[in-house]
Amino acid sequence: MYGLLDISTSGMIAQRARLTAVSANLANRHSTGPDGTPYRARHVMLAPGDPTASSEEGRGWGVHVADVEIDQRPFNMRWDPTHPLALKEGPQRGYVRESNINPLVEQVNAVQASRAYEANAAAAEAGKQMIAQALRLLS
Amino acid sequence: MTDPLGLIGAQNGVGGAPASGGSRPPISGPSFAQTLRSSIEEVNRAQQDATRAVEDLATGDRSDIEGVVLATQKADNAFRMLQALRNRVVEAYDELKQMRV
Repeated sequence: MYGLLDISTSGMIAQRARLTAVSANLANRHSTGPDGTPYRARHVMLAPGDPTASSEEGRGWGVHVADVEIDQRPFNMRWDPTHPLALKEGPQRGYVRESNINPLVEQVNAVQASRAYEANAAAAEAGKQMIAQALRLLS
Repeated sequence: MTDPLGLIGAQNGVGGAPASGGSRPPISGPSFAQTLRSSIEEVNRAQQDATRAVEDLATGDRSDIEGVVLATQKADNAFRMLQALRNRVVEAYDELKQMRV
């Protein structure tokens, strides 16, 4: 009976994970690791089925975070020759490597994740109302 | 249709011809008391789960607020269901009590 709620909850948790990744990407846009390598964007990969759900429907039809992928695309380059991490030689001398995050894409992802969270919450609400209707029939 | 309480099968004995001697068929399945007890235990378990989830959220042991809301919701629904069933049973008992013999 609670399969519907389990599924919607797993969807909400998954969308929260996506928004967490977006927040991490936006927060680390200018971060560099200890070896001078800039931060790489993180992308949450979702997969069907929620192994932690308590009901069979939740386990079969829910969603879970399968993996957090690290974006391997090339870094953004910014011209700043006085920067301590600026490249000293090569054709890109004077440029600083920056994280490969596109803030516009992250913003769109954030809107998408929060709207999807909302949709899952609305589905849970509808399921709750269905159960309440059935109970009203009994009393 | 399932008949967990065995009420449908028992109707023959109540409304039909009076059972003479020991000809009444034996009632199979769990008794009403057993069914009630097991559902109360289930509701209790759901409420304990919800309480533990809320405690864990408050103390920081878990961070998925959605799971806590789900546990609370399950406990609430289970309790409402039990309450509705109990009201129906009490109603039926009152009806029986007021019956003139």
